[in-house]
Amino acid sequence: MKRFRRQFFLGMFALITATVGALWLHVKFSQALPDYAFLTGWILFAAMLGLTFFNARKKLPFLSLGRAETWLQIHIYLGFFTVALFLIHLNFRGPHGWFEVTLAWLFALVSASGVVGLVFSRTLPRRLAARGGEAIFEKIPVLRHALKTEAENLALGADAKSPVIAEFYTKRLAAFFAGPKNLWLHFVESRRPLNALAAELDDLRRFANDAEREKIAKLATLVRQKDGLDYHRSLQLALKLWLFVHIPLTYGLLVFTALHVVLVFGFSGGAR
Amino acid sequence: MSEQLPSPDFDTQNYARPNQNWICGHACEGNACRQGPDAKGRCRVTAECKPILQINPGETKGRWRCTRPGGECESGPLPDGSCCRPVAKCSPVPTLRVWRGRATLVVIAASCAMLLILLGNPPWRNQFISPGEISRTHSGAAFAALAATNHLNQNCGACHVAGNSGPHGMVKAAWRAEPGFFAFHKFLAAPAGEVTAIDESCEQCHVAHNFHHPNAAAISCSFCHAEHQGKMMAATTDANCNFCHGDTAKMAAAHVGNNFTPVIHHFADDHPQFRFITEHLHDPDTLKFNHALHLTGATIPNLPGGAKLDCAFCHSPDVAGAFMKPVNFEDNCRVCHSLQFDPATPQLALPHGSAEYVSAFLRSLPKQYADLATKENQTDENGFVQQKLAALRAQFGSGEELERRVFFSTATLGPETQIGTLSGGTRALFPGCALCHEVKNSSSGSPEITKPVMPERWLAQAKFNHAKHASIACAQCHDAVHSRDTADILLPAKETCATCHSPRGGVVDTCATCHTFHNALVVAR
Amino acid sequence: MPAAPTILERPQRWDAAFDAGMTDTDVGRLLATAPFSEMDAEKFPKRTPLREILRNDTRILKFRKGEIIVRQGDYGTSAFLILKGASRVVLKPDLAPSLLGRQAPGKKGVFRTLAQLWNGSRPPEIFSRSQLRQAAGLGARQTKNEVRVFLQDLPRVLNEHRTERMTAGDLFGEIAALSRMPRTATIFADSDDAELFEIRWQGLRDLMKYDDALRAHINKIYRERALASYLRATPMFQHLTEEQLERVAAQIEFATYGDYDWSGEYKRLAQAGTVRPEKEPVIVQEGDYPNGAVLLRAGFARLSQKFGGGERTLNYIGAGQIFGLQEIAHNWRTPDAPVNSQFTLRAIGYAHLLIVPTRVMEEIVLPSLPKDELPAPIEVAQDERDSPPAAENGVREKVGAEVLEFLTENRFFNGTASMVIDLDRCTRCDDCVRACASTHDNNPRFLRHGPAAGSLMVANACMHCADPVCMIGCPTGAIHRESFAGQVVINPDTCIGCKACFNNCPYDAIRMVEIRDANGEFMVDQEMKPIAKATKCDLCVENHGGPACERACPHGALSRLNLNNLDALAKWLKL
Repeated sequence: MKRFRRQFFLGMFALITATVGALWLHVKFSQALPDYAFLTGWILFAAMLGLTFFNARKKLPFLSLGRAETWLQIHIYLGFFTVALFLIHLNFRGPHGWFEVTLAWLFALVSASGVVGLVFSRTLPRRLAARGGEAIFEKIPVLRHALKTEAENLALGADAKSPVIAEFYTKRLAAFFAGPKNLWLHFVESRRPLNALAAELDDLRRFANDAEREKIAKLATLVRQKDGLDYHRSLQLALKLWLFVHIPLTYGLLVFTALHVVLVFGFSGGAR
Repeated sequence: MSEQLPSPDFDTQNYARPNQNWICGHACEGNACRQGPDAKGRCRVTAECKPILQINPGETKGRWRCTRPGGECESGPLPDGSCCRPVAKCSPVPTLRVWRGRATLVVIAASCAMLLILLGNPPWRNQFISPGEISRTHSGAAFAALAATNHLNQNCGACHVAGNSGPHGMVKAAWRAEPGFFAFHKFLAAPAGEVTAIDESCEQCHVAHNFHHPNAAAISCSFCHAEHQGKMMAATTDANCNFCHGDTAKMAAAHVGNNFTPVIHHFADDHPQFRFITEHLHDPDTLKFNHALHLTGATIPNLPGGAKLDCAFCHSPDVAGAFMKPVNFEDNCRVCHSLQFDPATPQLALPHGSAEYVSAFLRSLPKQYADLATKENQTDENGFVQQKLAALRAQFGSGEELERRVFFSTATLGPETQIGTLSGGTRALFPGCALCHEVKNSSSGSPEITKPVMPERWLAQAKFNHAKHASIACAQCHDAVHSRDTADILLPAKETCATCHSPRGGVVDTCATCHTFHNALVVAR
Repeated sequence: MPAAPTILERPQRWDAAFDAGMTDTDVGRLLATAPFSEMDAEKFPKRTPLREILRNDTRILKFRKGEIIVRQGDYGTSAFLILKGASRVVLKPDLAPSLLGRQAPGKKGVFRTLAQLWNGSRPPEIFSRSQLRQAAGLGARQTKNEVRVFLQDLPRVLNEHRTERMTAGDLFGEIAALSRMPRTATIFADSDDAELFEIRWQGLRDLMKYDDALRAHINKIYRERALASYLRATPMFQHLTEEQLERVAAQIEFATYGDYDWSGEYKRLAQAGTVRPEKEPVIVQEGDYPNGAVLLRAGFARLSQKFGGGERTLNYIGAGQIFGLQEIAHNWRTPDAPVNSQFTLRAIGYAHLLIVPTRVMEEIVLPSLPKDELPAPIEVAQDERDSPPAAENGVREKVGAEVLEFLTENRFFNGTASMVIDLDRCTRCDDCVRACASTHDNNPRFLRHGPAAGSLMVANACMHCADPVCMIGCPTGAIHRESFAGQVVINPDTCIGCKACFNNCPYDAIRMVEIRDANGEFMVDQEMKPIAKATKCDLCVENHGGPACERACPHGALSRLNLNNLDALAKWLKL
């Protein structure tokens, strides 16, 4: 897609230029200016605030503030640049003391979760689309419940009349249909659980007559559909949960940053 | 492909509302009610219908009618107008987004709580916010007592104004800091080493800025001495010194006249030659001493014990070991120069140190000999004394001549005598005081002997420690074997020191190795 | 073992009569009135006799003075004949939008925009009592199952607008009915005993087919009122003089193919699996002599070619496009090596065409075109199995056969602003839905779900169709187009919740939503039944910045595309 490639090149160009420029300024001024750390600190803070404005823009879609796509591109590349600013602010040395170490860890976690989120956002949708079909996350429990009911009727219903299938269902499939399964295995794109169940269903055919074979085929379809639902749930949950790290920690980081500003000025050489 | 998932559920009747925070509790069964929970998450459903009061014309009270969408129920509404079939409320479920909001609030609350706890309680507070360990001198109970900051042995307030108070005080101190929060022009223009408010804290205990040059600009203590670097304060570096000494403009501004230290960057490179060399200074001592003779002369006897006379016999380190004890006659010279005036009586030596005493001694010779006879247990004391005096008279003629000879003779030859403590046949070389001293006639009484002046320090601006240089032979730095005049200053040139104290030599060559910055000794009150 | 076929009753022409209450007396009365009295019943085939047409495809309506019969801008499928009384047509200036039930045009002001900040915590679709009123100047009355809106201050309307009176025997609305164009003027009844005869388009078309007088009359009206201005706007005729244009206009034929009710019935048949492209009505067959250049005035047509044993769809064309020009131009330039039609043209759903006969093209139109506007000559393929000309193939390759079939089968090409979601980029974050909700009373107007082909999903949002079936039959004029061919908008203040549009929409894009008061409780009528209004995407016509959904997607996965032709989609896919 040409537009996305163009965005990428533009963003990388801006990022590299800005980083090289910042490093050059750092080399030039870090020794010369005694209050250098204050300057870089405020610039870092301004960059962090700019990053948080993305969340604000999302909450104001009715104002004509620009496309969210543009904002996200700025957020991503500014985020990477902020990592460089962070290293410059620390003068490429480690933090000392409990407070500074905590602050640095918060920053690192927010940045890392952001990168993880970026990777998720670009890889997981393609996997979901390749799997085929679409399931709305909130509707998954409803669909799962329907599948469970249908499977139960098929295997254990009044007119099922098949002890083989019933036994298999009770032993193997009841737990499978009961709730979401294989969260991690789906995330790492492992087909093992589905293949295992399919193989077992195949084995079952040996003991089945024609009518039962039909039922088994239907059950196999239901198993496949339930597996598909699990897959969707796993990946969509990942797409939602990374923000549970990124956003709350950002607010924690902001609280700590505010205190850092107070401490730095309060305990600086010039505090009276 | 279509079998991958169950058929999609396109609800033609309802919108999906992810913008709402609460979902009807029956949604997981697929039976979400159309009304939905309210903003606070309470189910809105009450009963199956809302009865309406129907008053037909002619009626006064009217009748409550059931308005159930599926058709009227059999019982109808209760007399008070409420429906007879209440519906059980569901438990609305918050969406994932609500959970994320809650997680955010929890993190904010936890951060604030943690910070308040940690900042409210002094021992934890200081451990928590300290950006590095404090040097041993500035921490601990002794310092706390000294600094009189009695917050449970905590010492932040000793130096930092904000360290004495809780969060509120910290904010106040931050607000009043100079440069302030947004003083960007100051961030960009602040001169390095500027004296700041924290220097006042240093000066509570340490004497006021007392710099090595009255013209030197005031520099903040923390420019060279950084705290919070660990158990020991970080050593100063050459960069600190070069801040001024490497800057031509600063040096020119600070010094007037023609006598100023040029720009210095490194010892081995552009540290100037020692002034005693450049200004061709000489030792003004009146005592005549020939190092070359004493160290290499063939006529110099060996020391008691058989060793040859070396530097260490006269020059021994003092208690501290840094410098040498001043050479004195009794310890270092009398062993060879015994001051005996009577060749036949070597055990009788003149006193040293005062011309009057020597005169008095010489005029009381009979008594001296008599004391000697007693000491040696001579039987005939008188006879011994007479005999000695007669010999002296025979040699010198008169007492005055003896005295004159003692003070003024510069002859280098004298009678040889066996002196007990020295080995070999040596001459006790004492023709007269004037051999070594400057002796002058004076109008009153005994002659005047100029007191020798032995300057203790030539390189007064630097410190030196002989003990650290013990592995080096004296001759490597002090060229005594070639010095014949007392006026020679036998100290090494800069290049000699730079042989080792240079990057090439490998020994430490920082400014602080030899020089100190503060004039007076740093004294704690 | 193949599954048993689903057996349906073949839908018949008169399964649903226009008005079940048409009696023999009514029919007899009609037959006695002009123009039906002059019609030759023998000319009508046995399957569709005149009497049955009049019984099943027409109805008689009574209007009181001031009641609005048709609104300007509405889409309608019927024509009217005045039987008794009088009506007036508003000429200049047009009636104010509020009198027609329309929403006031324009964007939200600053305060209203900022007030949306608090939308997030409010219940959806909150209205206040004062909003739920027809505009001043309009009244509404309910008759049986219908709602009639009437103008209250008639003298003022007559004063401020120039009108023309129509009396018994006047016919109006036939152009809109036949060509699916919006009504060009507002017409209201001018006497209390006005009686009108309404005939739906199927009946009108049949009458035209078998009655020469009516056909000639309608053709004349069509040519006079609608054709001339349309031809003037067509690029192909730009270089003609007025006199030439008149000659062309006089010889143009127009035709309608297919079924105007293609939406509802089609869906049912498609689900039953009995729809195949081969069954669509053919306009031009591949290999036939090109009789004329086909201008598509309204509707859609499919371009296909023989491929193996069946037909392969290459493209579809919509209103304003021309078919057959290349072949006619080629034949004109090389008369000794003529070609036949390269493609088959079929009507998808319905198509209303203008056909310029080949002779007219060769004598008048083609000579007037400059050399660079003439299409390139066709390279006749020696071997019939060669692939089709590059131009048409290009589109198919750009978009992909699967997507092309997907769009055609689901009739998505109807949309001028279809919501297309790229599933390869969508992270299912629902930001689009939230943005829509926050700009629309906290009620999102679409479903982030819909049929998909590969990674392309067309979500269930109003597509603002070129042929808006939903707009037919709104009693109060609440659903309207913002501008000609613009967004389709429902005015919530005048919507009475009759569900006409909800039922009509073939894509289920409209949903009924109960309105609430400030506490979030449903507003109810006298019978304690919740009042519902029809809601749908309005392309954020009132908001600054355009569709909020498109602007809110952080990953560029959502776009509102015009699918009438494939250029926009091809561009977006290649993006």
